[in-house]
Amino acid sequence: MNLKDNINPKISLIIGISFAVFIDLVLSKLMASWSYSWLPVQASKAAPYVDNLFAFETGIGTFIFLGCSGVIGWVLLFNRAPKYDESYGEPFEGNVKLEIVWTLVPLFLVIAIAIYSTKVNTTLQNLGEKTKYDSQKELPTYLDNNEASAGTFIDVISRQWSWEFKYPEGFSSSELHLPINEKVYFRLISKDVIHGFYIPAFRLKQDIIPGSIISYSLTPTRKGIYRLRDSMFSGAYFSQNQTNVIVESKDAYQEWINKTVKKVPVDGLNQAGFLYKKRLEKGDKGWATISPSPSPQVNDPGNPDSAHEG
Amino acid sequence: MTTTKSEVLLHTPGHVKHDGHNLTGFIIFLCSESIIFFAFFVGYGVLKITAPTWYPDGVSGIAVREPLINTIILVSSSFVIYFAERYLHKKNYWGFRIVWLVTMLMGSYFVYGQYVEWSELTFSLSSGVFGSLFYLLTGFHGLHVITGILLMGLMLIRSFIPGNYDSGEMGVESISLFWHFVDVIWIILFILIYVWQ
Amino acid sequence: MTITNYDERIIKVNQPVPGAPNNWRRFFGFNTDAKVIGIQYIVTALIFLLLGGLLGMLIRGELITPPSDLFDPTVYNGLYTMHGTVMLFLFLFPILSGLTNLLVPPMIGAPDMAFPKLNALAFWLVPVFSIVLLTSFFVPGGPASSGWWSYPPVSIQNPLGHFLNGQMLWIVAIGLSGVSSIMGAINFVTTIITMRAPGMGFFKMPIFIWTVLAAQILQLLGLPALTGGAIMLFFDLNFGTSFFNPETGGDPVLFQHFFWFYSHPAVYVMVLPVFGIFSELFPTYSRKPLFGYKFVAVASFGITILSLVVWVHHMFYTGTPMWMRNLFMFTTMLIAVPTGVKVFAWIATLWGGNLRLNTPMLFCLGGLFNFIFGGITGVMLATVPIDIHVGNTYFVVAHFHYIIFNTIAFGIFAGIYHWFPKFTGRMFYEGLGKVHFTLTFIGATLNWLPLHWAGLLGMPRRVASYDPEFAIWNVIASIGAFMLGVASIPFILNMVSSWSRGKKSPPNPWDAIGLEWLLPSPPPHENFEDDIPTVLNEPYNYGLNKPFVVDEEFYISKALNDS
Ligand code: HEM
Ligand SMILES: [Cu+2]
Ligand SMILES: [Cu+2]
Repeated sequence: MNLKDNINPKISLIIGISFAVFIDLVLSKLMASWSYSWLPVQASKAAPYVDNLFAFETGIGTFIFLGCSGVIGWVLLFNRAPKYDESYGEPFEGNVKLEIVWTLVPLFLVIAIAIYSTKVNTTLQNLGEKTKYDSQKELPTYLDNNEASAGTFIDVISRQWSWEFKYPEGFSSSELHLPINEKVYFRLISKDVIHGFYIPAFRLKQDIIPGSIISYSLTPTRKGIYRLRDSMFSGAYFSQNQTNVIVESKDAYQEWINKTVKKVPVDGLNQAGFLYKKRLEKGDKGWATISPSPSPQVNDPGNPDSAHEG
Repeated sequence: MTTTKSEVLLHTPGHVKHDGHNLTGFIIFLCSESIIFFAFFVGYGVLKITAPTWYPDGVSGIAVREPLINTIILVSSSFVIYFAERYLHKKNYWGFRIVWLVTMLMGSYFVYGQYVEWSELTFSLSSGVFGSLFYLLTGFHGLHVITGILLMGLMLIRSFIPGNYDSGEMGVESISLFWHFVDVIWIILFILIYVWQ
Repeated sequence: MTITNYDERIIKVNQPVPGAPNNWRRFFGFNTDAKVIGIQYIVTALIFLLLGGLLGMLIRGELITPPSDLFDPTVYNGLYTMHGTVMLFLFLFPILSGLTNLLVPPMIGAPDMAFPKLNALAFWLVPVFSIVLLTSFFVPGGPASSGWWSYPPVSIQNPLGHFLNGQMLWIVAIGLSGVSSIMGAINFVTTIITMRAPGMGFFKMPIFIWTVLAAQILQLLGLPALTGGAIMLFFDLNFGTSFFNPETGGDPVLFQHFFWFYSHPAVYVMVLPVFGIFSELFPTYSRKPLFGYKFVAVASFGITILSLVVWVHHMFYTGTPMWMRNLFMFTTMLIAVPTGVKVFAWIATLWGGNLRLNTPMLFCLGGLFNFIFGGITGVMLATVPIDIHVGNTYFVVAHFHYIIFNTIAFGIFAGIYHWFPKFTGRMFYEGLGKVHFTLTFIGATLNWLPLHWAGLLGMPRRVASYDPEFAIWNVIASIGAFMLGVASIPFILNMVSSWSRGKKSPPNPWDAIGLEWLLPSPPPHENFEDDIPTVLNEPYNYGLNKPFVVDEEFYISKALNDS
């Protein structure tokens, strides 16, 4: 870094910096477009919004990260003290203008990000209201989503450690079947502890709080089988509390309903109960846990082995 | 220590005293302690507003008369303790001891009143949200009152040690501050539990 | 213990070295000297780092394959809960108290802490609550296993119904740890406010002191809220109250508010002193003044104030109303501003310097690099729609280990190396230090970088088993974890052998500015005793020819004579 030999050090500095910034910008742009591939398939209306926001922040983040570590790297390469050299560096103590710049620029940046994300929030409106109720009494029946007059209404009942989905047609299922491109409304209910209703392909997650019901809505946009995972630690068999979400065409969905209504209820999917039984057979070794709640009685226990995407 | 100082000392060495921070430390402690109460108060407020059921079955409210008398006694003891401190400043030790003892008695009466109230209540710690909060708040505050009385007793005994106040009255000042603190907490607590029904 | 085989020569030094002349036994008793207490804290905490690391490697051992095959899931849950608890309450908080104890009095020219007995008491609570916590491994039913958050209702389920259960011991241990921390905080704040050397106004204090003050004020304001919550949790668990129990009308989410009102600031309690260490070390090893001293100092309090109003970002998906989510997203993002001020100031300090890349500087640089990364993922997590996807997944685990290990623990290692000569009177072995750094940096990166992708793809945290598509990231992470285990070997070797037979250290081996460097190595019992220097300037004027204290030469030669 021998700028003094240059004819005009200032100009070469400016050129150097602009070049570095340009490279940084290009790399950040690349990283942002690459970031889409780090996420599961987009299967809900919310997903593209979330992914765009994520790509946007990945871009900004990459720019800052490369900028900062570029400077650090430069310094590491060119400003190392030779052995036994104890001399001082250039003794500048600060620069108020620069300080103000790097206070205000990040300030505007985070305000911009916050406004952008607030907009996305308002557009999505997935996570609805939470209403406490008296567990000794009946569940509140209403769903207070804004336009909750039409659409599919499903009750999600979570337990330690199984899922049950109650359909308005009066049957229940261990797997969540949803019609494509139609807004679905849920009431999220927990029978014991806090669970998390998380479908990565939909980019949506909502904790289910015992003692409250929570309204919630989403619109699936892609046919396929996705994973629904409990996302809030719920005790011993937490990691087994998963099931599949099946998004299908309107007709297939209707057919499934017609078929399932007629089925007799059987034990629903209950991996935890199965594992706990095995544990008891082996002499109940391990640390204490409450026993899994009995399998819910469902008309369609589903097929836990079917392959999922995302 | 082992070095001999340079002949001409160019500096004026400072010396920091070791003691004398007790009051500062104690005030910091009280600020911190008040946050526990604050947390409990917030818990009370939130649950009172949002809990689906509040009073336990068969309870429709809570009597105010006796607690009010109790409150008046506790609050006035804060003025009494102030006079005790004044006596001490004026080096009137017997005046201090007597008024200090009066404060202790008033505090003890408060604890007694609490005890009577508790023993007459029909609900318990495990009777729903209100029961839990009621006993938590009054109990935790009561513990502070008892601690205050014990500390006052300690100060009373120490006042008989000759030369006890030569290095200041930090102990008495701190306890008196603590007493005012316990008082203020009670006033908030009284408003929350008894007035806001 | 390492300290037992004591080098005879040290005992001949005419000032009380920690360990001499009263010999090593002083480290095992109720000693009120802040320097002894500091070392007690640090050694205790490092032992718990080994334990916590072992637990970490056990859970990584389980996670190297998708199914839950190494342990029963209940055991996995207990192990990860204890891992987090040990790391936070038995390693990080104590080790930072240790560094603070060692550094605060010498740096501000005080003879000791304001309340030496309280100080010793605060330390001795550490072994007490550690034993309480570790006992819980042996009670029927096993230790607490609801995560270090201990969210009810899971935490109050008490499967066996015993009064003495792991969760109960956990709460007691955390409560005692809180008492110890409050005692420490009262002491630190009082000391810093009332015992500074003549001439050391607030804007002449070292940044480390600024950050300690900011951190300890946070401790005083936040910790009692957790204590309040823990008391209520304790009653719910053992006495059937209904604060957080939904079955009897309580509100489980209320606990989350109490918990995060403290536990978010707690992260800043831990990271602020590390910012202080960065601010001390970068100027020293770049041979340059700290860039924008006043901005860096004030930014500490900007962080303190903001960090008290961001806690709801841990509850974006728990039924929090929209306006609240947006509000707390905004306050959280605002923290990036004062934090950015610091980061840019450090980088500007490096720029144009004359860098000496020894072990402490390498750990600082590594820590800064990792912190920039962790800060960026932090802003992502603050963004509500993104958090709704990645919250409670491995993305969070990766993010917070980037902060807590790759930044905070790196900074702590840097601090230990930097001040090792000062407080032991011995130099450490540079070669072993570099091996330690290299292994740690590579291990930490392998361990936590890949887990970001596992989280983005939807792998929840706290799972004992997972779907096979996440296997690749977990295998790499586990390899990194085991590498971190190996990294502890050169570190332990270095500390033990350097302290027992390392080269003697001069009073100021790094040619650094600061009151502590005007003292002999190791400093005498009461630091400056009756000769407390009068401070003229803040301690970062490398190459500026500004005097630091009145009559500096006197102190330099005195320290040389006494060493
Ligand atoms: C050898 C090094 C380490 C390894 C391999 C490791 C690994 C892990 C793993 C696998 C988890 C479980 C995450 C989950 O399932 O949610 C975890 C959690 C955690 N770790 Fe570490 N970690 C290490 C070091 C540290 C350090 C140094 C700290 C703190 C200073 C720390 C603090 C935590 C905390 C607070 C949790 C959360 C526990 C909870 O969810 O309750 N870890 N760690
Ligand atoms: Cu936080
Ligand atoms: Cu964070």
